[in-house]
Amino acid sequence: MELATRQAQQVHEASYSVKTPRFFRKSLFRKVFTLSGIISITLIYFLGSNLFNRISSGIIDEKITASISEGESAIQYADYRFIIGSLGRSTDFKELVSEIVSSTNVSAKDSGREIALFNSNDRRAQGIPAVSTSNFLEPTSVPDGLRKKVQSDDEIHWQKSELQYLNGEKLAGVVIGKAVSIPRVGNYEMYVLFGFDAQQRTIDLIGRSMWGAGLLLITLIMIVASVVLRQVIQPVKYAAEVAEQLTSGDLLKRMEVKGEDEIARLGTAFNEMADTLEQQISRLENLSRVQQRFVSDVSHELRTPLNEMADTLEQQISRLENLSRVQQRFVSDVSHELRTPLTTIRMASDVIYSARDNFDPTIARSAELLISQIERFENLLSDLLEVSRFDAEVATLSLEKVDISTLVRRCADDLGIASKDRDAMLRIEAPVTPVLIDADPRRVERIMRNLLANAIDHSEGKPIDVVVEENESAVSIGVRDYGVGLTEQHIERVFDRFWRADPSRSRIRGGTGLGLSIAREDAQLHGGVIKVWGEMNKGSNFVVTLPKVHGSAIESTPLSEIPTS
Amino acid sequence: MTSVMVVDDDQDLAEMLGIVLNGVGIEVDLVSRGDEAVDVFRNNPPDLVLLDIMLPGLDGIEVCKQIRKQSMRVPIVMLTAKSDTHDIVRGLEAGADDYMVKPFKPSELVARIRTRLRRAGGEISSNLTIGDLAIDIVEHTVTRGGKEIPLTRLEFDLLVALAKEPGRVFTREALLGEVWGYRHSTDTRLVNVHVQRLRAKIEHDPENPTIINTVRGIGYKAGATGSRG
Repeated sequence: MELATRQAQQVHEASYSVKTPRFFRKSLFRKVFTLSGIISITLIYFLGSNLFNRISSGIIDEKITASISEGESAIQYADYRFIIGSLGRSTDFKELVSEIVSSTNVSAKDSGREIALFNSNDRRAQGIPAVSTSNFLEPTSVPDGLRKKVQSDDEIHWQKSELQYLNGEKLAGVVIGKAVSIPRVGNYEMYVLFGFDAQQRTIDLIGRSMWGAGLLLITLIMIVASVVLRQVIQPVKYAAEVAEQLTSGDLLKRMEVKGEDEIARLGTAFNEMADTLEQQISRLENLSRVQQRFVSDVSHELRTPLNEMADTLEQQISRLENLSRVQQRFVSDVSHELRTPLTTIRMASDVIYSARDNFDPTIARSAELLISQIERFENLLSDLLEVSRFDAEVATLSLEKVDISTLVRRCADDLGIASKDRDAMLRIEAPVTPVLIDADPRRVERIMRNLLANAIDHSEGKPIDVVVEENESAVSIGVRDYGVGLTEQHIERVFDRFWRADPSRSRIRGGTGLGLSIAREDAQLHGGVIKVWGEMNKGSNFVVTLPKVHGSAIESTPLSEIPTS
Repeated sequence: MTSVMVVDDDQDLAEMLGIVLNGVGIEVDLVSRGDEAVDVFRNNPPDLVLLDIMLPGLDGIEVCKQIRKQSMRVPIVMLTAKSDTHDIVRGLEAGADDYMVKPFKPSELVARIRTRLRRAGGEISSNLTIGDLAIDIVEHTVTRGGKEIPLTRLEFDLLVALAKEPGRVFTREALLGEVWGYRHSTDTRLVNVHVQRLRAKIEHDPENPTIINTVRGIGYKAGATGSRG
């Protein structure tokens, strides 16, 4: 419990220290002015109220002292009258009591006094009422406590009380009482009551004067404080302004120093600091100017040879570009020009081939060879054209959303292997759900065709595993064979044009020797890569990875080229 | 007898095409200049046109446009020595239905020609509606509110293929098989260009198609049937 309170307090303090109102944070004047105002008001309030209390209680005490002696003599006088009265036979005590009680014709309300006479046994005796009071004073004005004290002994007693009248008026005052005995009648108590009315008026007057004096004093203090504050703050404000100007770059700004006070010392110190700062900065500026001049001199010296070099380079590049353009045009033209006669040859050979049953066996075989070589020639021609497009960097992507799973399955179907053999040979592991990527389907299909053809060429009849894997950013297609395999030197050259791992190997499938090279170019055009693993007699693994969104980076490849098994 | 107009400036190739096509019972009309081709077509309209792109007189693209002005129906197959996307798309946009890149196999050419000459939807006798279009398969017409919309034969075949099974999603490859008769091809440009040409003719707003909808990443499907009128 206690701990909790302490913590709460700490929290409160912390938040207070953070949340100094903006009004005070921004101005020293406001802060000091408000603080001095609060302090002087508090001080004057306490001093004034203390003084006032002392004065008023002094006045009341004085009145009480005077009242006691006056009351005492009045009681003695009454006592004396009663004794005198008892000497005479015909004394009417009723009359005497009435006279004594009503002798005071100036009421306590008008700075006079009141008299009350009580029968100690509260009994009526010889026509004298149990209680007689002057000027319609209520007998309850005499406190019971005082009556008991007066009854107990023969001394004078007094007490502060409130005087009450029958018409409801009330008055602060003092009651002085003493027991008196009326001979042959009985024991009485006589009380003399005095009001503080005049004293109260004096006290009120003093109070009002003190309020006025206090307010005047506070106003004066605030005026003085603000004048003094202005005197002190003006130079501080000026110093702050000068410092701000200096900070914002006006390095020549200095403070005016007058006199020898603290403000003047601040100014002197500030000016010295500004001097040092200015010197340092001008030194740095100088240094930088020298440096700039040096750089400009050097670059000027270098410019002429550099310009010449750049011109030469530009000429060379444009010559090379020209050359490359001419070359690309030539290749394109050649392949284009070759196509029309090739089409005619193709058709002619087809006509001859379809009639081969009518020919002599050697001619029939020749027709078969003719047609297969024409096909090879066609493939070579279209591959060469493709390579020349890559070389001239004019190959373009025709992108659309492609489902890689479906595409891989279709490529496997299109391989032209009888379906029974194919199932034994090609094992495909691909997601059932579509794997959509931005790609040029013609090119991705060509990559697959080339990788599969290469794998089949080198599989030595063993099965081939095709795996499709994806992650957030990319998709990988792995083509793994368990055939002849590749050495490290082979892997380095495997994408080279017309390169063959074993030149003596028969070219059974009539590959052009450009397939892998084109596959890599196709993958790179997509922003993808083909990675290769191989080991002699263990086979090889080609993994092509393409980004899912065109132009975005491949964060990690979903499939490693190094096989796990 | 079916007649085909072959427009090619290479005499030997044209002659060889003649031999091959005659061999399968197709009559061939050989033309070697582009400007001549338009006249010949006007005087003696063939059942199909084989058109080379590089031609003296008038180039293949222009010839294609001229022929389309005279006939929406006749199938046009471009013969091109270039496989550049740009040329092929230009040819298709000019109104060609299909193209063959040289060198091609004669058997493939014959198959292409046969597919293009086959009438669409032969097995369906009733008429179809798609969106607010009415398709009369016997008459080979498409009408909207009684007004005929002229379509090429291939555009008609494409629309019928989609409208026969409204709501079914056709991959581009499926459409290539159904409409062009390709078994294994991913040349989706062929489909894309023709769908765009077809939309330009039948959609109220080709930018926001409602009859032929694109299914992103997969292909196309026909939209609402005629039940909405």
